[in-house]
Amino acid sequence: MQRLSEPFGSLIDRSQSISFRFEGEQVSGYRGDTIASALLANGITTLSRSFKYHRPRGVLSMCGQDSNTMVHVGQKPNVLADRVMIEADLEVRAQNYWGSLENDRLAMIRHVSRFLPVGFYYKAFYKPRWGWPLWAKLIRRVAGLGTVDLTTPHGYYDKEYLFTDVTVIGAGPAGMTAALEAAKAGAKVLLIDENAKIGGTLGYARFDGDGQSGRKTLVDLVAEIANEKNIRVMTDTVCTGWYSDNWLPLIKDNRLYKLRAGSLVVATGCYEQPLIFHNNDLPGIMLGSAAQRLIRLYGVKPGNRAVVATANRDGYGVALDLLDAGAEVACVVDVRSNPPEDEMSSALMHRHVPVLVGSTLREAVPTPGGGGVRAVKIAHLESAERAARRYDSFACDTIAMSGSYAPAAALLHQAGGRVSLQDGSGGFSVHDLPAHIAAAGSVTGTQSLDYVLAEGQDAGRQAARDAGFEVMSASEPRRTEPKASAWPIISHAKGKDFVDFDEDLQTRDIENALTEGYQHIQLLKRFTTNGMGPSQGRHATLPAIRLAARRTGASLNETGSTTSRPPIGPLTMGHLAGRSFEPVRYTAMHFRHLERGAKMMPAGAWMRPEYYGDARNRLESIAAEARNVRENVGIIDVSTLGGLEIRGPDAAEFLNRMYTFAYLKQPVGRSRYVLMTDEAGVIVDDGVACRIHENYFYVTATTSGVDGVYRTMLWYNTQWRLKVDITHVSASYAGVNIAGPKSREVVDRVCDDVNLTPEEFPYMGVRRGHVAGIPALFLRVGFVGELGYELHVPASQGEALWDALIEAGADAGIRPFGVEAQRLLRLEKGHIIISQDTDGLTTPPEADMAWAISRKKPYYVGMRSVSIQEASGLTRKLVGFEIADPEITQPKECHLVIRGNTITGRVTSVVRSPTLGKVIGLAYVAPDQAELGNKIDIKVDGGEMVQAEVVKLPFYDPDGERQEM
Amino acid sequence: MKQMQCPLNGWRNIQEFAHGGEVVDEPDPNRCTDAEWAEYIFMEDNKAGLVKEWWCHVATAYWFIAERDTVKDEIVRTYDPSELFKERRDYTRPEALEGKS
Amino acid sequence: MALKPTQCARRSFLYRELENSGARFEELNGSAIAINYGDAEGETAQARKLGICDLSSLQRTGFKGWNMADWLRLQGVVLAEESNITSPQTDGTRVARLAPGEALVLGDYQGGGALIEKLDSTWSMESADGCYQVPRAETNFWLALTGTEAPALFTKICAVDLRDQATSVHSVVQTNVARLNAIIIRGGTAEVPVFDLLSDIASAVYLWRALLDAMGEFGGKPIGLKALQDLT
Repeated sequence: MQRLSEPFGSLIDRSQSISFRFEGEQVSGYRGDTIASALLANGITTLSRSFKYHRPRGVLSMCGQDSNTMVHVGQKPNVLADRVMIEADLEVRAQNYWGSLENDRLAMIRHVSRFLPVGFYYKAFYKPRWGWPLWAKLIRRVAGLGTVDLTTPHGYYDKEYLFTDVTVIGAGPAGMTAALEAAKAGAKVLLIDENAKIGGTLGYARFDGDGQSGRKTLVDLVAEIANEKNIRVMTDTVCTGWYSDNWLPLIKDNRLYKLRAGSLVVATGCYEQPLIFHNNDLPGIMLGSAAQRLIRLYGVKPGNRAVVATANRDGYGVALDLLDAGAEVACVVDVRSNPPEDEMSSALMHRHVPVLVGSTLREAVPTPGGGGVRAVKIAHLESAERAARRYDSFACDTIAMSGSYAPAAALLHQAGGRVSLQDGSGGFSVHDLPAHIAAAGSVTGTQSLDYVLAEGQDAGRQAARDAGFEVMSASEPRRTEPKASAWPIISHAKGKDFVDFDEDLQTRDIENALTEGYQHIQLLKRFTTNGMGPSQGRHATLPAIRLAARRTGASLNETGSTTSRPPIGPLTMGHLAGRSFEPVRYTAMHFRHLERGAKMMPAGAWMRPEYYGDARNRLESIAAEARNVRENVGIIDVSTLGGLEIRGPDAAEFLNRMYTFAYLKQPVGRSRYVLMTDEAGVIVDDGVACRIHENYFYVTATTSGVDGVYRTMLWYNTQWRLKVDITHVSASYAGVNIAGPKSREVVDRVCDDVNLTPEEFPYMGVRRGHVAGIPALFLRVGFVGELGYELHVPASQGEALWDALIEAGADAGIRPFGVEAQRLLRLEKGHIIISQDTDGLTTPPEADMAWAISRKKPYYVGMRSVSIQEASGLTRKLVGFEIADPEITQPKECHLVIRGNTITGRVTSVVRSPTLGKVIGLAYVAPDQAELGNKIDIKVDGGEMVQAEVVKLPFYDPDGERQEM
Repeated sequence: MKQMQCPLNGWRNIQEFAHGGEVVDEPDPNRCTDAEWAEYIFMEDNKAGLVKEWWCHVATAYWFIAERDTVKDEIVRTYDPSELFKERRDYTRPEALEGKS
Repeated sequence: MALKPTQCARRSFLYRELENSGARFEELNGSAIAINYGDAEGETAQARKLGICDLSSLQRTGFKGWNMADWLRLQGVVLAEESNITSPQTDGTRVARLAPGEALVLGDYQGGGALIEKLDSTWSMESADGCYQVPRAETNFWLALTGTEAPALFTKICAVDLRDQATSVHSVVQTNVARLNAIIIRGGTAEVPVFDLLSDIASAVYLWRALLDAMGEFGGKPIGLKALQDLT
């Protein structure tokens, strides 16, 4: 193999030599080379081993459309060697071999291939069941692609949104023309191409005898696009799917773009199809377009002596290009018995290349070792499905295949468009495109350059018009009938006539599956795995459709096609994970907690201190924090509590409807418990409502529930139309609960405008005043069961409040406590936590909270459901239990309450109370188990049954003397 | 990703919205039968065709109504709920309980 | 002696982040604001390219309710008829109409807020039936994102098109930014845009860090209030 001189090699820069390693060997190429072109230029033709039979494989499409060229680059597996450009010191390794690439020990598998029939895995490993883990290990070793290196460092992947008026996918002749046309109408156009340079086929294919028109058109269009300020070009960019309303993911480098595409022109072109014959996968056998890309883009001569096989006009262009590149063309094989004469065929005739018409390739003869082609056997076609037994043999080292095309129509399919395949001719067309999508160029089946350009123009105008720009009316659609024929699929007795290169599927595998009854195209795909490999059926689907159609006697369109789903191309996990956004909410005191050594825990999006201190002394810390509240004074950050302001003449009426209690007569300056049920009567939230003014309630809600409560409230009032305003102020107020027998004395030190005496400011009272000069709402509440004050202050002053209270409480022994200590303290008081002690079905009577229901009002959300349940009787009830014997195993949350053979409930909260010196908890039990003094059995870890006694709540300070002092 | 026109904020990705279920008339909870109430609470029509649904633009907590064709997967119209809910709604206690307690 | 943010009772949720970036503080409205980061000239240039400025110490308030528009107009406030439009007042205050029944009032970049003080002190439950105060200064932190690269920055954090052709000066966009609910107000000039960004005060540190990460590729950096004042 050798490098050609200019003008061949439009993508490479011969002044910059780059060396890298392949399989440990030093290889050099030029800047602009892909790994594959550089390897080929160095005479390395085998790039990988096949998936199942470990056959040597080389370049097939030369544009990243097949899996033959998948290599390991550095720590990255499955890199497409014919797409990724070389860089200095790149470490490239081949994949899927055992031993060396040249001498793969697993290649012996091909000799047992008749024992590896289609559906092999389904059939062979089904029984015995115990055998599968052993087989799985072996199969995963011998089959499969690259290996994942778990030591790979994290990459920086990013995401970005893009917006434009018109998007054109594919910058070939149709796409470039469409982009220009839309841009001229004033639209902002994004022109996207997966290749390094725009131009598509114009950069490498041949459209005429002297090979000039393509290149001339390319130069003109590229210049026009460069001068058009409305066009933004993105190359090396892959659009991996189509989503509703033209929302497209684009992958470029380490970034995932999410494009709102405006109106869309799909000019994605087509995939040239390999031909099917014995040994059609040997290195040296490639698509005609691949040979042209090697020559024109990379200046690499594909071989010295080639045979070109074709079913259309393009094979003649390939043969001319090979000749121009200095290769010998042994012959052109044309399946058509009477191919039309044109400029290119006569040019070829002038160069004395024999053309064998009405003929087909039967088999390629491998070089010793199977790493290349030595000759090809060509037979006359007796009919579309039968070749003569006699053949002629032509020596060659390269076979270029220009069989037919399949549309690169995945985006159109996903958008709801349809492709019709023409029987016999290998042609196709697209139709039923949804609004705001146009297609142009060879993806629609159009082949001739003039028509492709005209179609691009029409599509560009249509897209601009769809995007709201004024354009001239579109010209009449023009189409040519492609004068082509479909390449015949004739099974070879010796097999190895591959339909799917990824999955090593031969025609007999497809035929066998059809014989077994898998004749529906979707079943055929799933049973054979045809088209399920990395190249996603770009080359394998069409022959499978043809084989199925032939077997069933249906037309190609009746046979249908498999469903195209995103992603169209490979995506890395990095692209999906990207630069991720995980909002986290900090209270005003967050950093004070960290400074005190708090172990933080998430509460919804918030971070809260779980406890303060060392993880090794977790339980001790929690107990000490709790004890300090009972005996002294503690302070907890309650800023994460939900907060809602309900204001207006109907504020009380609104609360009366949203919550189960009665609020119309609640006095100003007092707070009252609120319990919310949904329409099904299920408890969804709780808190307290503080009446600050006749028409003004400040309502707290649970940390994780408030967003839903707020939205629900708005939804109801949209329908009720009460004179009330609902404002969400959760984050607007920082809050602390300072609790314990010494809390009054500590608050008193920093407050001079609220009388804190129990007579003036009793339990459940609400006052407004200042703490350390900071405006505050004072709530006397008793969640933890001690004298205490909740102080709510403007968020920006929360840290200053904390600092002032910690300082004021220093000699009283103030100590912050975390969520765990608070949970313990509230459990001692028998208070439930919504969604811990309730679940998605708990109604107030079940939670023993019927006391919180007002019976006198006409409505609250869920009232009817609760009354239906009360009338029909309860099936469970939440009770308090205790286990006094310290020898008995402590149950855990969610341990089951069991009676006989029946589960009657479960533990929802449980703790060993340091205050009471016994295990206490809450559990659901059957209603007839709820009587005080009743014994319940709880099944703990390991299956042991422990007995607990149902007791009266609260466990601690039943008369509430401590919180009301 | 689909887009929807929020009557307050204009065209936005569907990700910005939360779905709130079908627009259903609430039966009078104090006068309907248990069966009517259960139907209202638990059943959705799930029609193939034109449906009327609640949607909320989350960033602004704005509820509105969308009419959507579930067969064509098209959003036909969006509008402020005041088009449908014009009057204040009030509830009264069942007659049987009036005068008691 | 240099002012420390903890000397003031009102503190921006971002003060530690600002300190770590080398901010120099001055007192404004009883709170410390980052006036610069020690490079006055550089910051002015930075502001034109891509700057991020914490404005949490500036004055702001909000009003909400079915009589919001009537009450504000009664106080002499100019309010747009349409939602999502900002109306500049004669004293430099800006009033953004967020909804038919909701407005956001922003003080100017100089720290002024006479109108805001007047509105807040005039308002009471008794005097304003159907119009209710919203504690915007406590609900939202406030940033300015400045410079020619700011629209490009937004493409990395926001799914709404904020390019020049899609938004005009004084337009308001209420959407998601890096998965947070946010209010974005387009200000500045046609040449050098300034975007005011208001979002959940408790998520300030998260968003600040996310923005610095996203703006790295454009060379974006924190700027002080002085550079923003010079820009506008």
